[in-house]
Order: sequence, then C-alpha cells, then structure tokens
Amino acid sequence: MDVSQYLEIFLDETNEHLQNLNTQILSLEQEPGNMDTINEIFRAAHSLKGMAGTMGYKRMQNLTHDMENVFSEVRNGNITVKAEMIDVLFQCLDALEEYTTNIRNNADEGTNDNEPLIKQLNDILKGEEGGEDDGGNEAPAAQEAPTQAADTASGGEKWKAVKLGETEQNVLKEAVSQGKKVYGLTVKVQESCILKAARAFLVFKAIEEVGEIVVSSPSAQDIEDEKFELDFSLVVISDGTLDQVVGAAKSVSEIEDVQGGVIDPDHIDVAAAEDESGAAAAAAPVQKEAPAASASAAPAAAAPAASAAPAKKKADDKKPAGNKPAGNKPVVNRTVRVDIEKLDTLMNLVSELIIAKNSLVAASAASGTSTTAVNEQIEYLESVTTSLHESVMKVRMVPIESTVSKFPRMVRDLQKTLGKKMELYMTGEETELDRTVVDEIGDPLMHLLRNSADHGLESAEVRKERGKPEVGSIFLDAYQDGNNVVIEVRDDGNGIDTQAVRAKAIEKGIITPEQAENMSEKESIDLLFHAGFSTAKVVSDVSGRGVGLDVVKSKIEALSGEVEVKSKLGEGSSWIIRLPLTLAIIQALMVDIGNEKYAISLGSIQTIEDISPDDVKLVQNKEVIQLRTDVIPLIRLNQILDVESKKDPAENLVVVVVKKGDRQAGLVVDELIGQQEIVIKSLGKYISKCKIISGATVLGDGEVALILDANTLI
Amino acid sequence: MEELKTVETTQFIVIKLGDEQYGIDIKFIDNIVRMQHITRVPKVDSYLKGVINLRGEVIPVMSIRIKMGLEPDVETKSSRIIILKLEQQGTIGVIVDEVKEVVTLDNDQIERMAYDSKDDKNNFLCGIGKCEGGLISLLDLNAVVMENV
Repeated sequence: MDVSQYLEIFLDETNEHLQNLNTQILSLEQEPGNMDTINEIFRAAHSLKGMAGTMGYKRMQNLTHDMENVFSEVRNGNITVKAEMIDVLFQCLDALEEYTTNIRNNADEGTNDNEPLIKQLNDILKGEEGGEDDGGNEAPAAQEAPTQAADTASGGEKWKAVKLGETEQNVLKEAVSQGKKVYGLTVKVQESCILKAARAFLVFKAIEEVGEIVVSSPSAQDIEDEKFELDFSLVVISDGTLDQVVGAAKSVSEIEDVQGGVIDPDHIDVAAAEDESGAAAAAAPVQKEAPAASASAAPAAAAPAASAAPAKKKADDKKPAGNKPAGNKPVVNRTVRVDIEKLDTLMNLVSELIIAKNSLVAASAASGTSTTAVNEQIEYLESVTTSLHESVMKVRMVPIESTVSKFPRMVRDLQKTLGKKMELYMTGEETELDRTVVDEIGDPLMHLLRNSADHGLESAEVRKERGKPEVGSIFLDAYQDGNNVVIEVRDDGNGIDTQAVRAKAIEKGIITPEQAENMSEKESIDLLFHAGFSTAKVVSDVSGRGVGLDVVKSKIEALSGEVEVKSKLGEGSSWIIRLPLTLAIIQALMVDIGNEKYAISLGSIQTIEDISPDDVKLVQNKEVIQLRTDVIPLIRLNQILDVESKKDPAENLVVVVVKKGDRQAGLVVDELIGQQEIVIKSLGKYISKCKIISGATVLGDGEVALILDANTLI
Repeated sequence: MEELKTVETTQFIVIKLGDEQYGIDIKFIDNIVRMQHITRVPKVDSYLKGVINLRGEVIPVMSIRIKMGLEPDVETKSSRIIILKLEQQGTIGVIVDEVKEVVTLDNDQIERMAYDSKDDKNNFLCGIGKCEGGLISLLDLNAVVMENV
C-alpha cells in the first residue's frame, strides 16, 4: 500500500500524540494512581502503535508496542508507577521523537532499534508481573487477547444481537415471503486500518450489489463517522447465497474477517421481542445502539456462561480505547488542515488588494472625481479589505500552547540534570500568534527557561539560607497587550549581578574598565546579549556556552520583536519578549520629513503633540519636553535621517510620542499626512545595515515610503 | 569543456557609463526599466541610491558609477535601471547611462582577465570582449554588487 500521501497526517498526529504522552506522563508522575491519565496514555500509545504499523515503521511500532504493554499492565493494576519507570518512559518518548524526526527528514525511521529501552521496558514488565504468567513475552499475547476473546466469544456472531425495529421486521418478513433470504453479517476490520469508515463504506457498497442492507449496528451514520470499533454487523436481504454475500464483503481490502449466517424470520421475532421488552423502545424505527451494548448482550445470549464474564470484562475494558477517536471525531470534522503556503499566498493577495485599494483612493483624490458616491464606495471597500485582512490574519493564528507545552517536561529534566528543585508555572497558553512566529519562538523561550533554571535559580541550600522556599519557581506568562503579544519568563532566583556582569565583560575584553564605571544598570544587563558572553563559572550541559542570549535576541529581532530584561539582585529576574501581532500589514501614521515620506507604526504611537519651540528644554545637553508629568527626550528625525527640514525653526514642532515598553520618546516630524493601512515589504538582504528602517511600503501613487522602526530610535 | 569543438557563445547587453562600454551577461538580467523616482534610504553606503517600486516589489538600486569611483550619475533621458537577479544578493537594480545593444560573443572573442590578488578593490571586470563596436569591458557582477567591507 502506498502510504506516502498519509505521511504528513501521520507526522502531525504522531507529534500530537507524543505531546499528549509527555503531558500525561508528567501528570502521572504527580498522581500515579489516576486512572484517567493512565487510560489516556494507553490510548495515545495504542494509536501511535497503530499508526506506525500502518505506515510500515517497524522499529517505532515495536517500541510503542512494548510501551503499550507496560501501560496495559499499569492499567490492570499489575504494576505500580515508579520514578524509574517514568524515566524509562520519557526516554522512550525521546526515542520516538527521534524516529519521527528521521521520518520527517528522509521518510525513513532510521536504524536505531533502541534495544536497551525495549529491554528496560520488558524488565519492568517482568519485575512486576512476578508469578503471573510467564513474563514479558506474555504481555503482547495478553494484549491481543481481549480483542480475540471478544471476537470468538461474542464479536464474531454479533449480528445475532442486532436489534430490529418493527419496520425492519416487516421488511424482513415480506422479503422472506417473496422467497428472498435474510442473512446476518459481522464484518471485522483489520486493526491497522486507518480509514475504517471508508472500508465500511466499501463493504456497504459491495453488499448492496448482491442484496439490500436493512439494518446495521452501529447505525450507518455512526459507521460513517467512524463511531465503531473494529467490527460492525449488518442484516442483509439477498437473492444470493450466504457465500456470495460474505464473499462480497470479503472482497474489500483490509477486512480481516466476515462471519455470517442465515436469519430465521421466526427467530428474529423472538430475539427482537426479548430485546424490546428489555429496552422498552419498541417503536423506534432505527435503533442506535452503542457497539458495547450489543457486545455485552451477545455473550449473554450466545456464548457459554463461563467465557461470557471475562469476555464482557475485556469488551468493557476495550471500550474507552475505541471510543476515544469516536469522541474526537466531530471536532476533527469541523477543521481543515491547510498548507501554510496556501495561507501565505492568500495573505499576499490580500496585501495586493490593499495596495490596489490605496491606489484607488489616491487616484480618485488626484483626478478630482471624488464625489460622495465614489467616496462612499471607497469607504465600503476599505472596510471590506480591512476585515478581510483581519480574517486572514486570524486564520494564521495558532495558540502558543503547541510550543510551550513541551516546557514542563523540559523543566522536569533540567531538575534532574541540575540537581535543583524547581517548578514551572505557565499561564496564557491560549494566547494566539501568527503560525510562523509560534514555530520560531520555541528555541528562544527554551534558552530563556534554561537560563533561568541554570543561572537564575539558586541551589536549594542557598535558597534556604536566604529564606526562600526550597523549590524555585519559574513563570512563563503570555498575554496580549495592544498590538503586541508579550511573553514573560520570570524566576524568583538570584537576579542578575550587574557587578559580576561588568567584571566578566572587562575580563573578556568586551568593554574597558573606564566604560564599565559609566555604565548604567540597564547597559550592564544588555551586555548579557553580547555574543560570546557567559557568566556561568562552569560550562554546563544546560547553558554556559555563551551562545544562548545573543541567539535569543537576534531570533526575536528577526521576528520584529524585542527583549527586555528586568532584574533585582536577590529577588529574581524577568525577561520580557514583545512580539508584533501581525507581520505583514499594519496601520501606520504617514509623516513628512523634508521632502520624504515615512511611516510610523500606529501600534507604537502614544500621542501626537503640538509643542512650541520655547517648551523644549535641555537636560544633559539633550533636548527634552515635559508632557504632563513625564519628561520625554526629543529625537529630531530630520537629523537622524539626514534630511533638510522644510520647516521654519520658529514654528511649533509636531511631535509624535512613541513608546517602547515603559520608555517614551518624542519624534519631531515636519508634518502629519494621515493614517493609512500599509503593507510591509522587506528592503531585502542587500540593505540590511540600516537599523532604523524596518521595511518599506508601496503607497497608493506607486511611490515607496520607508517604515521607521520606533523601537530602535528610543 | 575544452574538448568540445563547438564554439560557446555568451550574450551580453552593452551599456555605457560615460564614454566606456561595458557588457553585462544577459543571464543575470531580469528587466530593464526607465529611470524613476528612487526613494532614498538613510544611513547606508553612498553607492546605494535607495529603493524603487517594481510592480509592487521593493527593490534596492545602486549606482555602478559611485561604486567604481566614477563621477556621480547624471540623470538623462537615456538613463536606465537594469534589474539584475543574482543568486546570493537577490534582485538589485543598477543605474546605467545608456543601454546600447545586445551582442553575442564567441568564447574566443573574450579575453579572460585573471586577477588573483584580492586586494585590487577596483577590479570589477571579468574580461574584455572584442567585436566590431570596439572593446567591451565585461562586468563581474558579483564584484560590482558585493558589499564594501
């Protein structure tokens, strides 16, 4: 079978399952007795095994199979959860992740058999099973047993338990009176089958060629929605023989087994009557019955009493595992997986549309044809393009959860490697960001967390001495703040020792001792972002190679974001990452400086002030203005941009007050043009030296205007 | 290569900078557009004249004259911007005084110049082409476009 077309889905789902397993095993470690968690883990492991098997990844299948065995024993209460076991399980997850990465990179799982892990898993099984059966190898068999048992005892003849309503009975009787035969069938789908519903549909189609399906259990709708386990039962009216009908069903691939028999109309009456008297639902035309119900009804009727009880128990056991995908199904149905490239194209088209709209506005103003009617239509177009843009942006937004949910596991591992006690608290996982940003933000956040864990938090003894709780806390908070999303990594550790930072910087030759003396607190902290800087005395596995923070900074700046650090010695530090919500289209204020037009992102603008030249004061030889209670430094853009201002120095100044975090600055411009929605275009790699320009945009008249990056100006 | 007897030919677009003729390998040329308004970008090397809007794309434009140390460009009716597509630097426009013609040169009409020394910063040529119109200096675009260190 060619499975390459399913590779993407497989990888996506595998990642989801692995993530889920990570989270669940973590919570299992917290409360080892939680049956829900154990069941959840079992389900995830089972799905993984099934998927890997279908795709033909044998090594992955083997490993998940053995993991599943362990979970299965845990679930049956034969093994108690222990710390060593959790460790082994985490190693297994890492190994699985490695397989997945290999598969993603070259469609091959690699050749690592991970035998030591498998052995460890089997040891867990053996060690705990003790007298029960004959060790680890028995477990797979035991695992197969429930399905097998359910099959032979009841499942194979489940059709006998199919309930018939009055209408169906009449149909059947009529058919019999016309000389047709009535058959009951139970079709069992292979466990490895991915698209059970599709197979079932093919079976339906094949049977309908030789006969007519009267009833199915579960109902046709449920089967379509994949709300069934591995088998379903049918009552069929046909002219043909039993073999023909069974053969038709068997002709469909991935069908493991089809069992059937002739239904005696008289017998139906009895069985149906019995069932109905019990169910007291006589008139229901189509009775929807959960598969489990028919399964448990069957052994009671058909199987010998002795085997009925265990079979029933196993069937019940099996139920949660089978029902899980069914429960998820409606949610899955409502979403569509879309290639991110298609969204990019859509986004580009929206950008083009907005440029065209801007041109239309400019053209109508220039030609002097702007009547009320034209203006109204243009305004309408404007509102449509704006909401179109917003919708497309929303489509691209995903919660940061997918990225941050791996951190609790990481912190747990760090705890072991660093020998410190710590706890990670996360809030705001549901905060949404552009998909590309979410994918990129993982590494920088990981660096910051590791940094906090390694450098920030003190060892338990030191913490005790300082009167802090022994277990250190690391916080990861995400929230939206206006046009930005803020992600904050905070710890209650030692904070940044700026003295030590400066000393180290001098030692490394990054700054001179004289420079160090004049450095503010903030400047010293900024040294941390200098490439090749690390204050850790020992280079550890976790951090200390001095590549972390400058990478963090450059990565976040590449996403048009920024990092800010706040720290108090002895009390902890916090790293604040600010990311723009949108990357491609922004609302901007257009301004004139000299003969040039520039755009300033509306998101960073606080107010616009009209200042008399007399109100400009000098502090430390720098121009400032006082605005209400704040003293704000002035930045004359014409000087920074090397443009001749066209304004008379005696005239009032137009000052655009921008803010970055809690700092403000007043940008002096010549004139305001107005607010406009602009599409950000990159200046390209070739002009990368100019830091104060974050990009360019094409105006309505076809001219290019540059976008000022207010953040770098402050 | 040399065992092939068929003569390989290369097409060049002949441009003028002042009185000299230069050739640009046609495979790097994406487009030739008329002079248009160039938006200045502050704080960059002087040879970078700014950016233009080429059908919705923002493209940097540089002056070969300034880069090669010649007199600054004087915009005339025949001035053109040649849009180059390079593997490393992406799309870049260069300003030329005039675009004359397209010539096809056989490989034996091209005299390769072999400069080994990297220190010759003004080495922007990769060869000299000989044809009826006289000598054409063939530009080494990578050297022309390369950022000053």
